[in-house]
Parts: sequence; structure tokens; C-alpha cells
Amino acid sequence: MKLGKHYSFKKVMMQLLLLVLPAAVLACFFLKRVNAYYAILGNDWISQAIYFTIGCSLAVITFRYRFRFLPISLGLAIVLSFIYQLVQRLQIGEFDSFYAAITFYIFSILFLIGWLAGYGFSRSRNVSIIWSTLLLLLEIALVSRTSDITVSALISGIVPILIYSFYSIYTAELIRNTNENETQFTFFIGKRLVSFALLIFILLIGLLSYFKSDFQAVEKAWGGAKGQTNQDQNGNNGESMTQKNKEGGLQNKDQTRLSGSLNKDKQLVFVAKLDHFFESTKIPNPLYFTSHYFTRFDTLTQTFEVDENLPHNDLFKPDPSKIPLYFKESDTNIISQSLATRDRKVIAADVYKVGLAPESFVAPSTAFYCQPISVPEEYKNLYRSAYTTKMWVSDLNSAYFIYNPAGNTELEKFQELRFAKLRAIEQIKSPDKPFETYYTYMPANAEYKRITALAQKITQNAAAPIDKIIAIRDYFLSKDEFNQPLFKYSDNPGIPGIPSASKLNYFLFENRKGYCAYYAGATLFMLRSLGIPSRLAAGFLATDRSSKNPGWYWFYADQAHAWVQVYFQGYGWIDFDTTVPDVNTQQAPQPDGTPPTDVPATYLVVEGQVNAIDTLRKRIVLQTKRMLYHDTEFVASQERELNLDVSLARLLNDTGNIGLSAIKAGMRLTAVSRAEVLKTLFTQAGDNFETLVKRLPNPIPIDELKLQTKTEEKKAKEKEKKTEETPFNWFRFLYLTLGVLVGLTLIIFLLPFLIGWVLHLKAKSTKGSIAQQAFAKHRALIYYLNQMGYAANSNGPHAYAKNIDERFQTQLAPFMAIYQKLKYSTQGLTEAEQGVVTTFYTTNLKQLKKQLRWKHQLLSYLTINRTFQFFSKPK
Amino acid sequence: MEDTLQTEQALHLIQKLTDNIETVIKGKREQIKFVLTALLAKGHVLIEDNPGTGKTVMAKTLAQSISGSGSSDAQFKRIQFTPDLLPMDLIGSHIFDDAKKDFVFKKGPLFCHFLLADEINRASPKVQSALLECMAENQITIGETTYPLEQLFFTIATQNPIETEGTYPLPTAQLDRFFIKIYFGYVDEQTELDIYKDYLGIQTNLNQIKQVLSLSDVLHLQHQTEKVYIHDALIVAVRNIIRATRSHPEISLGASTRSGITFLKCLKAFALVNGRFYVTEDDLARLSSAVLDHRLIYRSKEGKQKALGQIIAVELDRLRRLNIQTTATASPAS
Repeated sequence: MKLGKHYSFKKVMMQLLLLVLPAAVLACFFLKRVNAYYAILGNDWISQAIYFTIGCSLAVITFRYRFRFLPISLGLAIVLSFIYQLVQRLQIGEFDSFYAAITFYIFSILFLIGWLAGYGFSRSRNVSIIWSTLLLLLEIALVSRTSDITVSALISGIVPILIYSFYSIYTAELIRNTNENETQFTFFIGKRLVSFALLIFILLIGLLSYFKSDFQAVEKAWGGAKGQTNQDQNGNNGESMTQKNKEGGLQNKDQTRLSGSLNKDKQLVFVAKLDHFFESTKIPNPLYFTSHYFTRFDTLTQTFEVDENLPHNDLFKPDPSKIPLYFKESDTNIISQSLATRDRKVIAADVYKVGLAPESFVAPSTAFYCQPISVPEEYKNLYRSAYTTKMWVSDLNSAYFIYNPAGNTELEKFQELRFAKLRAIEQIKSPDKPFETYYTYMPANAEYKRITALAQKITQNAAAPIDKIIAIRDYFLSKDEFNQPLFKYSDNPGIPGIPSASKLNYFLFENRKGYCAYYAGATLFMLRSLGIPSRLAAGFLATDRSSKNPGWYWFYADQAHAWVQVYFQGYGWIDFDTTVPDVNTQQAPQPDGTPPTDVPATYLVVEGQVNAIDTLRKRIVLQTKRMLYHDTEFVASQERELNLDVSLARLLNDTGNIGLSAIKAGMRLTAVSRAEVLKTLFTQAGDNFETLVKRLPNPIPIDELKLQTKTEEKKAKEKEKKTEETPFNWFRFLYLTLGVLVGLTLIIFLLPFLIGWVLHLKAKSTKGSIAQQAFAKHRALIYYLNQMGYAANSNGPHAYAKNIDERFQTQLAPFMAIYQKLKYSTQGLTEAEQGVVTTFYTTNLKQLKKQLRWKHQLLSYLTINRTFQFFSKPK
Repeated sequence: MEDTLQTEQALHLIQKLTDNIETVIKGKREQIKFVLTALLAKGHVLIEDNPGTGKTVMAKTLAQSISGSGSSDAQFKRIQFTPDLLPMDLIGSHIFDDAKKDFVFKKGPLFCHFLLADEINRASPKVQSALLECMAENQITIGETTYPLEQLFFTIATQNPIETEGTYPLPTAQLDRFFIKIYFGYVDEQTELDIYKDYLGIQTNLNQIKQVLSLSDVLHLQHQTEKVYIHDALIVAVRNIIRATRSHPEISLGASTRSGITFLKCLKAFALVNGRFYVTEDDLARLSSAVLDHRLIYRSKEGKQKALGQIIAVELDRLRRLNIQTTATASPAS
């Protein structure tokens, strides 16, 4: 049987390249997003996309030969379901067959979807519209289901699909209409796009009405939560807080997010055990937990920014989710970078994350050490992950100290002690010039001059820097002529009447209401205007509320805070908080939970790559080089394989417990053992990795396994982060694109001239036989005339030459005759004829150029379609 | 050397003939060339146009230029076709000879060298086919006897446009017998004025057409035509054109292989008429329509105007690009 071809091979290739490939790319994108939210898919988006692509391509290729769609599709579905049943019944250990069945199920579903899509692409005109609409709706549903509807989530999810939709509609039509003429083509495209827009519009209305209640709930959450709506999406509470601090202070854009009452959101962010007590007492001494420093103020956007390249960078930013369990990451450079030598000591703290993202790291300043630890089994549901941190803490820093005391005489006394120490510094000396200019930078703007004036007025009686700081603090606490507080705390500071007015000016001189970021921002500028190096710190304020668990602190979302850090030589950066107390809200006692106590001792930690896994016998072969044994680290000279018994082990990743089935060869994980066997198996002097391993039981009993993010993904994430962090220069991008476009346009428009030039040079050369010369000359002249708008016609060369001769008084006809003779006869040329061939080109070209006006020539050279016509076949 | 002599002689003869005809037929140089092309290609020509455009004069002038008026060297016959004309009126018939007591064959007007078949589409199909048979076979068979026609037998048929009333349109198969079909058309403004001014002179010229060529000269020219060189690239072009007519969507019946041979013959003849011993692109461009147009059946009127032009344009475009360097041993790309 001969197969009837439905389309040409070229068309099929076009479909594969232009329709199936983008669809596959989009499927990758979409599946990756879906995989991030649904665990059942097994987080294997690449192979899933491949299934889809195979289905799609096969369908396109199959329907090239007029195969019947329905019987084949039905047959396919039956075969697939049969194989599925078969796989399910297979007895290869219950666990594996289930896994295989699920995998096959996913494969067949995706394959069939691809199959249908491919069929649609090759057969139906309207399928591109339906396909696009379907994708868009799925994406909207995904976005609305899995994360809260933020603008960025919507844009990042929907824009690629929207772009793809327009692309696929256009391309499908393009491929379909490869033979049709232009006007019809644009008409069809227009028709398709309009119908697509209509369909989207109608469906969106339906969707909006259907999800209306959800949207309203989200809106409410926005109003009430202090930026907590991002919690589920990234769990990154610290981030969203700083976001708030960053934007909220000086941007009215995020006003809605900050307008609600603080007390409404009592979500627990993390719990910390801070080993910091007042000297020789059992009284806990809390510290503010820092997450970011905002050092630079962008006058254009009126926001404070995190600067990666701050001088003497003392911000320790590890990613606890990427450090293997129980292994440490520390940066002792931080200690020297903190520039603090006096009254500092090392303090340890344990942080148990609840709402905080796995990759977030918070610690009192100045942290330099991070060691992820495991959360005890019984607290697993409460705390997601934990780490121990160490920091280089100043004695002068204390939540009690840095808090403005607000009438608490006890605290005021403490503060006076601290101030007395700092009062010895009469002049702040920056370690170097860049440091000084950086940390005292202030925009030179009339609005900021006003702040400078205010700062000078407030601090006119203060001599030492510390007194100036106190004066500023006191100014915020001062009372007006009616004995009312001059400044009030408010989460709802109102919007200034004139939008362009500086938010800070409005706060300082008119409204005098605001929250932490306002106070911190105003203080920062006042300090900087006085030449005192200062920066904004963002993080969480600590309050000691637990009488039963001294040293434990509970951090709720409403404790997100911003304050000022001032540099004192010798003492380093010291916290100062100038935010006035909120008189309207009482600090209601928090129902603190129980802290994770009785952390079991860990004897062995190995970190490495899974070489093999036996799900039946629950054994893992781990290839490793690093081992922690009884808190001593052993590093092997070369990688070794260890047999691990994981029958009792729990498998964790950053978000919680997962099943053992998630482990695959090649993954990296950390295995932790608390086995009693190891308790008494102490290390001996002179032990190294090899000798120790020999004495360990084989297989080693393991209690906990922690999965690490794949290295490639880690790298990709880091890359992503980097690109995110380096501010994308849109102008540069724009210029580049413009430059490339201009270049391309120039080349395209110069093309006719360049081709003409090349042909002209060839025509001028006297190399080769007379026939070759005649050919080159003929070609160059014909090209020139064609470009000038006198294309050769079907009347034959003689008639054409005569026509040109009449028009321009040239002598083309004799040459044309000779050229024809040269081309088609066996007779040689006479000498006179040869003379005509050699001379005619220049003289006639001159004559032509004389007759044609300069403007006409220029315009003609720009008419590129004539060049295309010259080189293309006539229709 | 002899070749060159013959060539120049041939060209000279053609020039003489053309000039002679031009004394009577004004402003029709192209048509004269087409008619001569058909003559040299040993074919026949069909002239179509409205009455009074000079078709008959053209035929007469050509015949007389060769045969001379009243000369017995070459015979010129003219038949005015009418609906009641019978085949025998053309061929001749057997007449009873009293003296011999036998039927003798009385030759009809077909037994001549130059035949002007005026208004051929006025006659009934029977007559038309009789004529066309003779044109094709160059002989007449009546009963058992076969009578050969003259070695030089050239028919100039004229016909009124098909749409005119009282005509029997020639079937395409018979049209195929004519090598060339030309449209006479009206002369241009200036020429028409010249004709009016000098109609008396033209009239005199017509009556006193000189014999410039002898019959043997024509046969010699026909012989020379065969020797005209045609480049392989052009043969390929002819093949391409012929084949393209068969697959063109606007053409329901394409050209036959015989048409292709006729086309080649005509191309050679046309080159010679134009004073060349080799065929060029120009010949192809100018001749294609005259040779091929009446052999094709078009699907629509629009197609009739465009189809052949498109095919030829494609082929000419291809030829124009060809870089034929070594004239003698060129191997043309198809």
C-alpha cells in the first residue's frame, strides 16, 4: 500500500521546528512549575517534557501520511492502558511496581496529551487557539491554586504562555498559508488573533466569577497581613519583611501591604535559643536578629537597597539549606570585617525555623558561623529545620539597650552605662575614606537639606556622637506644646498630598506618624547629615517573654523590624533603635510553645553521593569523603563507599519528611546516625578516615537521611540569584537591541548596493575569456537596470535592450546581439564585436547614470524587493 | 568557405523577399517575418484577423514575389472558402473524357505551390479537413491513385475571428497543422496615414509585384534552414516550455511532442529570417506565442492571456542566468 502524503516533508519539518519545539519548551516550563507544587509527579520535569514531545512529534509525523486519527488514537490508548495494568500487576516488590506504575501512568497521560496536540497542529486550523487558551487557563488555575496571586507570580506564569500563544497562532497560520498570498494571510492572522482574544476574554470572565471568593480572601489577607501572603509560596518571611522595610519606609507603593494592624498576624517565624545572659546571672539578655543591612539609598526610587559591595562587608549570608547536615560553614573574615575589637565576645544561638524559608539565615550581628542541625523527631511537625550559629556580639548590644527605653527607668540606667562608654569617643573615625563616603552618603536634594537642618538644630547642644544619637532619639520622644507626644507610632502613616514629596520629609515635618522604617530612615539621614557613619539593619526584634524557658525567644511575623546601626571605632557597629513605642497596642502575652529540648546526641554524620539503593533491603551505598564522628571531622584522601542500613531512617528534605522512594542513585545526601553502637565506639588517637571506617559496623545503622538539592540545580539557582541580584540594565539591553536592529537594517538596506558593487567590480575586471567578460558585464548591467526599476521582461533580450536604448539613448542592443551570438552560436566574434564587448559596459553605464537622477538611484538602491526579485524565480 | 557563401546568399535572398513584400504591406514587418518563417520551416501559416487588415494582400504578395504575376515558375492559387464549398472543389475530380472514353483526373486548386485559403473557417468541416489532410501529407489520394502535391506547397490560410457569425471554428487538432498562427491587427497611426496618402502607389505596387525569388531559391532556403545551429540550452528550454504547458493549471490541453519539433523548426527558420545562423533567446521570446498559442486549450479567458507568458517568462529568466562559456561544447543545465 502506498501511503498518501498529506504534507510535504518541508512542511512537516516546519511544523516540527516551529510548532512542536516551542510547544515542548513551553511544556518544560509548565511542567517544571507543576512539579514544584505536586509531589506525585516525582519532580522529573525533563523526562515528562520529553514524553510530551515524543507524543507531539509522533503525531505530526504520523498524520503526514493520511492515517486515520480515531482508530490509531483509540488503539494507542488501549495499548497504553493494557501496559499500565500489566505493570501494576507485576511482582517486583510492591514498592517498585507502584512506583513504576505511577511513572508509566504519567508517561501515558503526557504522551497522549502530546499526541492530541500534535494531531491538532497538523490537522485543524483552530487548534492553536484552543491549545493556547487551554494552556493559559491551566496556568491561571495553577497560579491561583498554588501560590497567592501576586503580580510577579502572575506575570512570570502567564506572560510566557501568552507570548507562546501569539507565537503559535501566528506560526500555525504561517505554515498553513505558505502557499497563499499576503493579504489573505494577514487577514487570517487577524481573524485568529481576534477570536483568540475573544475566547480568552470570555473564559477570563467566567474564571474570575468562579474564583471570586478566593480572590476576595486573598485581598483580605493582603490587607491584614504584614506581607505574609508570600509565606506559602516561598516561606521566606525574613525576605518579605525586609521587603517591607525596604519599600515601606519611603515608598507609598506598598502602602496597602503595611496598612493593617500588626497584631493581626501572629504567625510564628522562628524560635531561637540564644545563649546570652547578663553577666553572672540567669537573666536572659535578648539580641536583635539581623537579616540584612540596607546601606544604600536610591534617590530615584526613594528606597533603601541591599548592597552586595559594601565596604568592609560584615554580613554573613550562608544558605543553611545547602550546607550538609551537621557540617559547618563559617567565615572568620567577618570578625575582622566587623571592625570591632572592644567589648565583643562569641555567642552561640540555635534557630528553629517555622515560617522562615530553608535558605534564610538570621542571627544577631555579627554572625560568622552556621551549622545545620536536625530537629528532634517529636518536634518535626513544629519546626522545619534548624541551625546553630555563632556570632561576634558586642556587649553594648542588647535588645534592652538598643530599645529606646520609653520611660523604663531600669533600662534607662542600663543605657546610661553604655552611653558613658561610648561618650569617650569624641569623634568617629572611619577606617578608610571609601568607608566614610559610603556610609555618610546623602542625596544632595533640597528635601534632604531640610533634614540636615533639622538634625543640626536637634543636636546643637550635643558634643559627642553618642549624644547626638541620644538627642535624635529624644527628639522623637519629645512632647509638643500640648504635652502630647510629638511622634506617634502608626502602621498607617497616610500618604502625602503631593506624590512627589519625599516621604521622609512628610514624616518628619508634617505627619509625624510612622512605623519602624520611618524612624530608622529618618534617623539614618540625620546621622549621615552629621557625618556619622550609619546604616539600616533589618531583621527581628527580640522580646523576652518566657519565664519557663530562659534563653528561648519566639519570633512572630509582627516582630519584623528595622533599626539603625552606627559605627564606633573599636566597638564596631552598634544597634540603635529610635522607633517610638506603640501606645495603642499592648504586648499581649504570646502563647509560646515548648522549645525543642533533649536534642539527641549525634555520633556519626556522613555526607556523599548515593551510588546504589536497594529499596527492598533498605540499603544504600554512599560514596563519601567526609565524615563527622563524635564531632570530629574526618576527611578521606579518596572517595570511599560505605554501606548504610536505612531501615530505621527518616528521609528529610528542606520542607519535611519524604519517602525513601525519592532517593535515586546520584543524589547527594547526609546520613546521620545516633545508634547506641556508636556511642561507645570512641575514636582513638591516630585515627583517620580509613581506620575509623574499618571499625564501624557494616552496614552502618542510620537514623536520619537528609536530601540535598542537586548540585546542578544548586548551581543554576545560584546563577539565577546572581542574575537577579545584579541589577538588570534595561537601557543597556535596549541600546544593544537597538544597535543590533539598526545594524541588521543597515545591512539589509545596503545589500542591494553591495551586491551591485560586487557585480560591478567583476564586470570591470578583464580577466577570463571574452565570454566570461561578456557574462559578467551583462549580469552587472541587468542587475543595475533591475535595481533601477527596469527589470528584464519576457519580451526577450533584444526587445528589452531596444526599450532601454530608446529610453536612455544607450547602445545596449548591439551588445545584446553579440552576447546572444556568443552564448548560442558556434561562430567566433569578429574583432569589432569583441571591441564592443570590452568597451560597452563603462560607456553605457555612464550614460545610464547620467540619465537617471541621483535621487532615483538612491531610492532604487533602497528598494530591496527588486533585489529579491532579481534573484528569485518569476511566478 | 562554401558555407559562408551559401549563408550570405541565403540572407541576401531573405532580405530581398522581405523588402519586396514591404513595398506593399506597410508596418507589418514582424508578421512578414512570421510568414516567411513558416515558409522556410516547410510549414503553413494561419492568419487571423478582422476583414480588411491586409491578410489576403499579404498572401498574394508573398506568392507573387516568388512566382511572379502570371509566371509559370511557381503557381499561386486562391480559394475563397464558403459554406457550400465541397472537397472536390479543392482537390479536383474525375471527369469523363469523351475522347479517351475514360475518367480523367482534373486537378483542383490544391495542385499549386502557393495556396491562399481565404476565410478557411467559413467552409464546412469536411472541406477544412480535406485541406488540412493535404497540408499534412503533401499528397492527395483519390480512389486508388495517389497524387503528390508540389514539392513546395505553402498554404496561407486566413480566418475571421472565431466569434464572427457564420463560421465553423477549426478544431485544435487541425489547427495543429499550421506551424504558425499570427494576428494581423491594425497598423499604427502613422503607418495608416501613410497608407491613405499613398494608396494609389500601393495599389500599383500590388499589381506589379516583381518576382524576386525563384522556386529553387525557396527550396534552397528551406534546405539552409535545416542547417541553422541551435544550442542545446535552447533545446532544453523548448522541452521545458512544452512540458510546462502540460502541467500548467490554466491549460487543459498542453502541447504535443510534434508541437515541440515544429517549434524547433520554426525557431531555426525564424533565426534565418532574422539574418542569423544561430537561434537566440530573442527568437524563443518572440516566436513562442505564435507557434504555441493556437495549439493549447485554456481553461479560462484570463488564463489564455497569462499562462503561456508565464511559462516563457520562467524559461527566459532561466536562460538569462545561464552562464554559457564554451559555445561549442556547452552542456546546458536543465
